[in-house]
This record gives sequence, C-alpha cells and structure tokens, in this order.
Amino acid sequence: MDKKYIIGIIIAILAIIAISAFSMGGNSAEKADTELIVAIDEEPEGGFDPLTGWASARSKEPLIQSRVFKFDGNDTLINDLGTGYTVSDDLKTVDVTLRDGVKFTDDTPLTAEDVAFTYNSAKEMGTTDLSTMEEATAVDDTHVKFTLNQPDSTFIHKLAKIGIVPSDSYNNETYGSNPVGSGPYKLVQWDKGQQAIFEVNENYYGEKPYYTKITNLFLEPDAAYAAAQKGELDIVELPLTYANETIDGMNKITIPSIDVRGISFPVIPNNGEINEDGSGIGNNVTCDPAIREAINVGINRQKLIDGSYNGYGDVSYYITQSGTPIAPKENLTDGDVEQAKQVLADAGWTDTDGDGIVEKDGQKATFELDYISGDTTRQSLALQVVEQAKEFGIEIEPVGQTWDELEKSTKNCNAWWEGGGDIDPYFIHGRYSSDVAGIAWNNAAYYNNSAVEELMTKAMAQDLNSSYSTWAEAVSLAQKDNPYVWVGSLDYLFFVSESVDMSPDTHYIYGHGGDEWGNIADWKHVDTNSTE
Amino acid sequence: MNNLSKLSPFNSLNLRQKTIVIITLTTLLLVLIFISSLNIDTSTITTDFALRQRPPSLEHLFGTDWLGRDMFIRTVKGLGLSIMIGAIASILSSLIAMVMAFFSSLNKYADSFMSWLIDLFASMPHLLLLILISICLGKGAIGVIIGVAFTHWLSLARVLRVEIKEINTSEYVNLARKFGKNNFWVAKEHILPLVITQIIVGTLLIFPHAIMHEASITFLGFGLSPHEPAIGVILSESMKYLAMGSWWLALFPGLALLIVVLLFDVIGEQVEKLLDPTKAQK
Repeated sequence: MDKKYIIGIIIAILAIIAISAFSMGGNSAEKADTELIVAIDEEPEGGFDPLTGWASARSKEPLIQSRVFKFDGNDTLINDLGTGYTVSDDLKTVDVTLRDGVKFTDDTPLTAEDVAFTYNSAKEMGTTDLSTMEEATAVDDTHVKFTLNQPDSTFIHKLAKIGIVPSDSYNNETYGSNPVGSGPYKLVQWDKGQQAIFEVNENYYGEKPYYTKITNLFLEPDAAYAAAQKGELDIVELPLTYANETIDGMNKITIPSIDVRGISFPVIPNNGEINEDGSGIGNNVTCDPAIREAINVGINRQKLIDGSYNGYGDVSYYITQSGTPIAPKENLTDGDVEQAKQVLADAGWTDTDGDGIVEKDGQKATFELDYISGDTTRQSLALQVVEQAKEFGIEIEPVGQTWDELEKSTKNCNAWWEGGGDIDPYFIHGRYSSDVAGIAWNNAAYYNNSAVEELMTKAMAQDLNSSYSTWAEAVSLAQKDNPYVWVGSLDYLFFVSESVDMSPDTHYIYGHGGDEWGNIADWKHVDTNSTE
Repeated sequence: MNNLSKLSPFNSLNLRQKTIVIITLTTLLLVLIFISSLNIDTSTITTDFALRQRPPSLEHLFGTDWLGRDMFIRTVKGLGLSIMIGAIASILSSLIAMVMAFFSSLNKYADSFMSWLIDLFASMPHLLLLILISICLGKGAIGVIIGVAFTHWLSLARVLRVEIKEINTSEYVNLARKFGKNNFWVAKEHILPLVITQIIVGTLLIFPHAIMHEASITFLGFGLSPHEPAIGVILSESMKYLAMGSWWLALFPGLALLIVVLLFDVIGEQVEKLLDPTKAQK
C-alpha cells in the first residue's frame, strides 16, 4: 500500500475533526433586538405536528399551536384556549368551555369541533396516552365534552399536553411541515436538518411575546457550544457535561427539573419469550429482588450526581421527585456497601470462586446495563454504577445502544437507563401498571403488584387534590420491590446571552424533556451598555 | 558525513541484514503494544471525576478525558484491539483471496464467475459494504472483523488470479497434467510455492488497510459501544471536547494510530524486499 495514501487518510480524519470543531454555526449578520437565534429544541422527527409527538409527549409549550390549558410558574393549571371546566361527580365526564373568536393562522375559526377532532385523532394515533378517554364531542362551538371510560381525576392534565390542530385542513402527511395553529408563533421556514424559523402570530389571542422572530438551529451539542463561543447564538441548551464551562458574554442558567433518571430492572425471569415490539422479556439475574435491593442501598446517589451531572441535580429515591406533591415523604438511605453485601448474602448470593462476583445456584450476578450512546449523562451514570456495584459483588456490563435498538431488542430483558417525570400523576401508572407492561416504553420492568394497582385505581377515582397522597403511597409501595432504582433529577443547562432575559423564575416546573418555551411571553431584551 | 556513516554500526550491515533488523525492531514494537494491551483489564480503566480533562502530564502521559479516565491506557488498549482486528481480518481476507484465486483456476466458467464476483465487490464503495456487513452480523468486534475480512480480499485475489493464470499456461504445468496429475496436485506442487511470497506480502499489506477501516467504522459509531476503548471510538468522542479545548484527546490517539499503521507498512515493504529477489536491491 502507498504510504502517502495512509498518511493522507489519517490527516484527513484529523482535519475533519479540527474543521468540524472550529467551523460550525450560522452567519452572524446584524439582527434586530426583537430577533433571537437559539439552539434549544431538537428537530421533531414527525415535524411540528402535536399528533405525531411535537411537544405533546410532555406538557410542553408547542409554540405554533395552543393548548386548552397550560401551567404557570406556580405549577397551577391556568386557562389557555379553555375558559373553565367542570368535572362530574363520578369523575367520568369533563366539560370544558372555550374562548370565543380564536382564529388559526389561516384565518379559519378555532371551535370546539377542532378540539374534539384533535383529541379523538390523538387517541387513535396513540402518541399521547389517552387510554382513559372514551371520546371527545363538541356540544356547541365553545363547549367540548370529554367522556372517560373510567373515573380519572388526572385527566385534566391531558388538556395541557396536546396543541390543537384544525379539523378541516388537517392532513397527517403535510401538517408536520406546514403546521396551522393558534399559538404565539407560526412556522415560516423549516430547513430539515438545519433550522426552523418562527415568526410571531398576528392572530394570537394571548399576550404577544416580545421577540418577533426566533430562529432555532438544530445543532449537536459540540457544534452548538462552538457556535455559542463565537457569539452566534443568543440562547443555547447543552448537556450537563458542559456545566463547568463558561462562555464570554453569556450567563449560565440552570433550571431544576423533576426529570428523574433511574435503572429499569426486568423483574421476571427470562424464558426466551419475545414481545410485540421485538424485545426479549425478563432477566434471570435482575428478577431476584435481592439483586435490585442491593443496588438500591449500595449505590451512592450523591456521588453519581456530583460526577455525571457536575453536581447539578437532586437525589431522588422515587420516580416522583421530592419537590412534587406525589412524592412519598419517607427518604431512604444509600451508599451502604456493607448492607448491600448483607442483602445479597441473606438471599444466598455468595462469592464461591473468589473472583469478587457473587453467585447463586451456579448463576453469576452479572447482567447487561444499556445506555443511550448519544447521551453523555446516561453513559457516565452507567459507567459509575458499574464501578459502584462491583464493590458489593455485582458485575454489570455497560452497553451503548440507540433508542431504536433498545426498543426493538432489549428494553424488557436488560437493565437500562430510563428517565421520566411529570406533574401529571398518571405517568406513575405507566411505570407500575401491569396493564401496559412492555407496551412502548411503559412498565419496561414488567412489574406486577395488585396492591399497587389497587392504590392507583383508588387514586384515579379520588378528587385530584386528595389523590396526591394515594399516588405517593403507590409509589412508595412499588419502590419496596425496586423494579426501578431511581437516582435523581437533573437540572437543565442554558447559556443565555447577557442581552436576553429568559426570566427563569416564571417557568412551569420542567418535566421529562423540559419546557423551554413555556414562559416565552416573559422573555425580554436587556440593553448591555458594556458591549456597545 | 561519509566517515561518520561508516562508523555507525547500522551501516556496517549489508542490505539484507538491515532489512532483517528493521523487521525485527518494528515487529517487536508492535508485539509490545499488543501484549501490554492484553495485560490491561478494561475494568481497571475507572472513572475519576476529580481528574476530569487534565492536560498531558507525567502522571497521565496522554491526559485524561471527560470522565477522568487515563487516555494513555485507553489508547494502548484501543491499539491492541486494532492490531487484533487487523490481524484476524487480514489473515481471513487472504484466506478468502487464496480460495477464490484457486477456484478461478479450475476452469473458464469458474474464472469468469470469479472476475464477475470481484467486479461486483469492487463496484460497491468499500466503507458502505463494510458498514452493511457489520450491521448484519450484529454489534461487537466480530461484526467488524468479518466486515473488514470480506471487503479486503479483492486486490490480493486479483493479483493471485493473474499469477495463477500465467503459471497454468506454463509448459511444466501442461506436462504435469499430461502425466495425469489432477488440479489439486498441480495447485499444491506447482502453483502454491510460486505464489506464497505474494500471499505473505499481500497479507501484511492488508494489515494497515484493515486497521484504518476498523478505526473508520468505529469512528462512525458502528460496531462498538461508546465507552469501549477502540481508536475510532476514542477519536469520535474527542471531537465533542475539542471545542472545550481538550486537544490532547484527539492528537495523541491519532498520532499513535498513524505510527502503528506506518509500522505495519514498513514491515510489509521490508518483507517484500526479503522475499522478492527483484526488489531486494532497490
């Protein structure tokens, strides 16, 4: 082989690395004070369509569409399109009155029919969990009735999840790239893989935001960081790996969240079965409760957070973070290696061959722990847990996977790093109910406990405010079996230009995935005399 | 200058001896890298958040990465993996090339089938085929090894096919056939001894190719998990931290890869000199 050829290839690789590190970002032409260039949101796979997942998987501001209700900075439900609601005594019907005279960006009126259409279609498409909803019907133009198939006091939260689409012109093939909505902004341009440009919607009925034009670049974290360093971005959201960095001319803002990370452990043994998604079911090591309990008491959560989140996070022993009303009051202890060893020994796991790893009935305490390859916080959490678990004799093998590989092969037979958190208590049902075990990302552990199930049904049939303690009871009871070992919630990290006030205090609490646009109406330009 | 070079012990050797010395030294170095990588237990490459992203120092020759792992140990481990994958893949691909070439010498149908197969493989972009094969075989080193093996036999198979064709038309082969010797006997007694040099040198020259492609494919994120120490994985990970100023994460592993590839190239050339008398004096 020609030597020059080899050197050429290697120099080319190094050059690509160097160039990509230094030459990213958009143009830095003059722009008005009311314009923003940001790298906040990820590109939605199915376009800006709430029915295929745009902002609707979480209670998140969809920008282009508006929702029936939304949350404010005090985490209370406030009116958006809706002007009020009544829930029947049996908690099986919800009546909502709507604002009159709302227009979509194409000047057609938004009526109750559009709301009913959106919710009925969303149930059909299945991207948002509406399993307790029977149907939505438009009573008259400003009046929608939601009929439920069982008492569900949490249902009102669903009305803050999905942006309303027009029933007349909605086409599931074209809507994602040409969305028509009634939100504060409209989409004017979407260059796939590069950027989306939003301009303020003149038809918007609410308080008009200060910024009239927002360009959201879709950048990988390293490219976004480089662009921010060059002063090309006003706001950039970055993974916590970047939390110790500083950028000239930008303030670092961290917003706490209730987005908790934890490990899902299949609780049933593996008998070679495969479910509809293509994933194997069950794991012969993690199905032993002692293994799960040992990990729950043996790992040091604060150390994990200090290491993987750069300290920007809060320890949580439950999927419900302690700041929320649905979190159990009692806190557990962890980081106790001796107790972890004791738990294993009591259950018959002993190290018979002297390799530092415990065995029971010829089965070594070793299993695979999957993490998402592109997610640096999950990767470093995984590597740290591997090291910590080794101290009490459990051997964990970390494996990097894509979301796709995880869903189609190992989510129900391997331990993996999952995450979740919502102000809607119904998401607890998704983790612990056997009804939804193995369906999409729900109950990946195949957990099944009739006592927990009963508590959850009871909670749904209670008035929302009094149901919180019942939900917390269910969470606490389920955690005794450790189908998941939760570690803690992470903060969301932003670098914000000194000329922008993102007013982080007026934010609705961040659930899984965050809600960056939630208080967009409060964002303001600040004069920075020092730089001019 | 002339006087000085005469004093050097290296110059007192003749060309053949020099060649042997170069081969021995480079092989030793590569074996050393490989053996020391085998002695590194991956579980000892632990994270240490107090030592995050430290620049190179005496304690950490290549610095540390974003998880506080020592980059020197990870690089050596990665090079060991590269050498292993390179070795298995290049031996496999020369075996494939050999089988293919001898198969083509059977008759003219086999020969045209062979040249069709070679053209088919050559018409597909190398890296694309490599990615396809390694995805088909699932994740892990096995997929990468087989992928590299099945894409690198082409050039050697082409050379062997022509050589064998030439030998097949020679008089002593015709004579042997007239004596009633079968194809297998001809291949074993007449052809193999003549092409064995080509095969050995060919195998050695596939080595650097195989290592480069192993690095490329792991760089692109196929085959191995992002926490595993493979050179491509290390390089692609380093990209994320270049903007933060961690230049050492890319530079040293990249240079180390360059050196290993060049060493294999040197060995290949020197062995060719040793075995092929027409090139020995060049």
